[in-house]
Amino acid sequence: MSQVQARFFTENKKYLIDDVPFSIPAASEVTDLSAVINKLLEAKNGHESVQLCVVCVCLQEDVVEIEYVEKFTAPQPEECIMHDDWISSVEADSEWILTGSYDKTARIWSMEGKAVMTVAGHTDVVKDVAWVKRDGLSSLLLSASLDQTIMLWEWNSERNKVKARHCCRGHAGSVDTVAVDPTRTKFCSGSWDKMLKIWSAESNEMMPRKKQKTEQMGLTRTPLMTFSGHNEAVSSVLWMDAEELCSASWDHTIRLWDAETGGQKNAITGSKVFNCISYSPLCRRLASGTTDRHVRLWDPRSKDGSLVLLSLTSHNGWVTAVRWSPSHEHQLVSGSLDNVVKLWDTRSCKAPLYDLAAHEDKVMCVDWTENGLILSGGADNKLYTYRYSACVSDAGA
Amino acid sequence: MRPTHSGTMSKLKNKKRNLEENADEQLPIFDKDGGKDGHLDDGDEDQGDLSDSEESVFSGLEESGSDSDDEEEEEDGSEEKSSDVEEDKAADGDGDDQLSAKEVIEPQTDGQHSKEKKKKKKAAGKEGGEESVASDRDSGLQISSQVDEYEHDTSDEEDIRNTVGNIPMEWYKDYPHIGYDLEGKKIFKPIRNKDELDEFLDKMENPDYWRTVQDKMTGADIRLSDEQVDLVHRLQQGKFGDVNFNEYEPAIDFFSNEVMIHPVTNRPQDKRSFIPSLIEKEKVGKLVHAIKMGWIKPHRPKETTPQYYDLWAKEDPNSILGRHKMHIPAPKMKLPGHEESYNPPPEYLMSEEERLAWEQQDPEYRKLSFLPQKFACLRAVPAYSRFIHERFERCLDLYLCPRQRKMRVNVNPEDLIPKLPKPKDLQPFPTTQSLVYRGHSSLVRSISISPSGQWLVSGSDDCTVRFWEVSTARCLKTVEVGGAVKGVAWNPNPSICLVAVSYDDTVVLLNPGLGDRLVCTATDQLISSYEEPEEVKDQPVQWAVAEGEGHEQGHRLILKHPKAVRQVTWHGKGDYLACVMPDNGNSLQVVIHQVSKRRTQNPFRKNKGLVQCVSFHPIRPYFFVATQRYVRVYNLIKQELTKKLMANCKWISSMAIHPGGDNVICGSYDCRLAWFDLDLSTKPYKVLRHHKKALRSVAYHRHYPLFASGSDDGNVIVCHGMVYNDLLQNPLIVPVKVLKGHTITHDLGVLDVTFHPTQPWVFSSGADGTVCLFT
Repeated sequence: MSQVQARFFTENKKYLIDDVPFSIPAASEVTDLSAVINKLLEAKNGHESVQLCVVCVCLQEDVVEIEYVEKFTAPQPEECIMHDDWISSVEADSEWILTGSYDKTARIWSMEGKAVMTVAGHTDVVKDVAWVKRDGLSSLLLSASLDQTIMLWEWNSERNKVKARHCCRGHAGSVDTVAVDPTRTKFCSGSWDKMLKIWSAESNEMMPRKKQKTEQMGLTRTPLMTFSGHNEAVSSVLWMDAEELCSASWDHTIRLWDAETGGQKNAITGSKVFNCISYSPLCRRLASGTTDRHVRLWDPRSKDGSLVLLSLTSHNGWVTAVRWSPSHEHQLVSGSLDNVVKLWDTRSCKAPLYDLAAHEDKVMCVDWTENGLILSGGADNKLYTYRYSACVSDAGA
Repeated sequence: MRPTHSGTMSKLKNKKRNLEENADEQLPIFDKDGGKDGHLDDGDEDQGDLSDSEESVFSGLEESGSDSDDEEEEEDGSEEKSSDVEEDKAADGDGDDQLSAKEVIEPQTDGQHSKEKKKKKKAAGKEGGEESVASDRDSGLQISSQVDEYEHDTSDEEDIRNTVGNIPMEWYKDYPHIGYDLEGKKIFKPIRNKDELDEFLDKMENPDYWRTVQDKMTGADIRLSDEQVDLVHRLQQGKFGDVNFNEYEPAIDFFSNEVMIHPVTNRPQDKRSFIPSLIEKEKVGKLVHAIKMGWIKPHRPKETTPQYYDLWAKEDPNSILGRHKMHIPAPKMKLPGHEESYNPPPEYLMSEEERLAWEQQDPEYRKLSFLPQKFACLRAVPAYSRFIHERFERCLDLYLCPRQRKMRVNVNPEDLIPKLPKPKDLQPFPTTQSLVYRGHSSLVRSISISPSGQWLVSGSDDCTVRFWEVSTARCLKTVEVGGAVKGVAWNPNPSICLVAVSYDDTVVLLNPGLGDRLVCTATDQLISSYEEPEEVKDQPVQWAVAEGEGHEQGHRLILKHPKAVRQVTWHGKGDYLACVMPDNGNSLQVVIHQVSKRRTQNPFRKNKGLVQCVSFHPIRPYFFVATQRYVRVYNLIKQELTKKLMANCKWISSMAIHPGGDNVICGSYDCRLAWFDLDLSTKPYKVLRHHKKALRSVAYHRHYPLFASGSDDGNVIVCHGMVYNDLLQNPLIVPVKVLKGHTITHDLGVLDVTFHPTQPWVFSSGADGTVCLFT
């Protein structure tokens, strides 16, 4: 059996070993390499054995340079929350899970999968939901619907009462996406009518209540600002920071907007319809899911914005949802129409880290919370949650 | 001859003189003699005179050499001449005869004197030979020159024996005279009155009869002298007239092969032999000019080589030909091997079996054309019997060898296919199945997409119409109708939200309530705001407003047709709706409804053939009606037939109009798709036969240069169909993708195809109850 010269290196100081080339069998597998490194680590400082995975292999002057990182344990499935209809959207914060469903309701769930609240009021499918903010026991949340409205609800978790605060009217098509700005005072919505609208997220109780109907549906609110520029339906919108908006559209573009002035700052042109985008402030990259099978990474700051930095190819259907890890700059999760949720590390673009193949139908939405919970909902009416331990340890470190 | 001549001359003169004398004085004598001889007398005298002189001459001739004779004669002649001159003078002097007689005598003495002198000289000449003769001549010449040499020079004169000159003598045949003398008197011929007897007597008596001839010029008889007779004899014998002429004298070669130091002649060379000739120069100049002008072509040197064609003449291995790629060298002869030796090594000799095998083998297939043989010595080798045969075969080899490598036309079948751009370069076009819209329980006959591209409607045989969200394949609405849905059509006007659904003999206009709420309510208002016109026209179609449960489901208007409606299609503005009711009865197959006025028109009183489908022109007021074999294009404003497209297929199933309006595609049940360019021809610009089974549906994309066809074989074929604005450029049609996604159910595959209005996506509905989205 032939031997190759290999040098191991890592960026993690905790698992540093001597920078000496080793001769290892050419047919070594990841586990063999892991065993080698573990032995070295044990000999060095008596460290307890850790799972390592080889991330990057590069060849330099007959010496194979192998980068190793700590192996993340697979996401552990936690809950499977059944819905009555397709789950169109999900957003979780540290305590509660908010889902939008095709049964025209939004639902609030506890982390344990217990149905806490059903927010009903829309006359059509709820397409997107978002938490606005939480003040103690009361929370503000948003739901966007096919009935062309966005409802701002106030939910009191102690009394478990939900109240429609505002009904945001102004879109001429189904509202497919909402995003709350980092200051939690505004939110932006994107609609099939090609418009982006910015609304105030303040819950104003001082407004006089005129009619019973408005009492029920909440006060009608009009947009603060409207951004027009897309030629097709807006499929996804997000805030990059307090002043900058990013929107993805069916017209094959991702546009960056100045939220203050309403001007378009930049446009990234792709070749296919964009279904979803996600932005990671950690690595300053945009991830996009398109109607071809790729998750593409873009640099929103680059002027020649059409340049694809990286293309993650493993899905077999449209990528309907992507979400960056809030805590890890290299990891993201994507959901696709091929029923699979994939966990990616952008350092290995050839294959995902994990395939989360729990869904039986199209995956419509994914989310990743700060505390390491991955959520995915789909057309099989199920919301799966996964605990991703590596995030915890990373967060700890 | 000259001396004799001059002799005769002198005789003539004498005669003249005699005649004069006769005429003057001797007439009596003449008379005296006349009794006996008559006028012969004169002649006699004349004869005598003549004979005298002649006798003397001839005697002289006989006596001695001719030269001396000549001399004598000459002398005589000169003597006579001189006397003649005397006489002439006398004659000139006229009257004084005596004087003249004296004068006559005197020269005679002179003459005698000179005669004697000459005789002396003659003797000396005989002794002295030639030299003396020459001097004699000279002296003679001198004498004659003394007289007058031009007086008797007769070189350029005629024969002057008479005075008439050189005229035919027969002119004077009947006259007694010939010519006239100087005094105008007749010169009489000698009287010839001899009869036969006289002749005979003369012949008998006269010994000179044989040598007597008549002079025709004068008519006188002349007795030829011996010399003359001899001359006649000589001439008759073919000899030279001159006796002394030696024809066999030794020849002297002036021009011999020997090179002399002196020129043959002493003549100095001409000047012209030293200077170039001007004439030649001029001539050469003319030729040069003619050659320059091309009038004269210097003829090429004649081919002296024999005229046979040496096939391998240019065979030179080092030549450029030899190195040339395509060149074929002459076949080489096999080099002799050991087996050809007269004494080959034993391994080359054939064994007995080999020899038998060789003999049995066909000569063509023999490896060796001869049997190797061994001889003791070279002397024992016999003549090679196959020599000529081998040479002949070698010649055949050279003659039949291909001289040129013939380029086979290697036609690659793929080269014959027109070069089409690669499908990869024609993106975007749908490539993969992305979404499947499941829900129908029976075959989906028709689909249509909303103008915004957000919703899709499908009509199925399970008597339902389903509305789908395109992006998620979510069925948002299901509307039940009272029969198997044959056709659905979403109103193309974005400000109207209406879907026409046909089932059985009914067309229902549905308001699905999807999309902009405002639009939906506006549509409802539009329909409800209709006011019945005053006069109700009798219409073939009954319009009814849906109520109750149907209205809840979205039914708005119900149109009851007299026959089963197979297809519904909207005009681009969204107000007119055309319905097809195929019927062999040829009447009322197509109706056009105006929704806003709830009016129905029957555009054709009579349809030719079974109408398969109809379509409105996207821009212009044209109406396309496809029957089984033809597509007729009607101008709706002028109400006339504009064009008739011949599809060249058996049964048209479907038709689609390019959004530009100038191109039409027709799908047919015999697996063809015909592309018509309306500007080009009424025949198909291109016919595609990509499907294995009948085509059910064709569709154009509204923006992208794409068209698709769905077939019973379960495939959707997407083609790139680029229509150029340039009228000169024909559409580019490239099949780009075969999309498979439907399972064949009841021998039916894809029933309808339609494109997304904005994305390069194609929907197909199948007999398996699904609708597929290919992106």
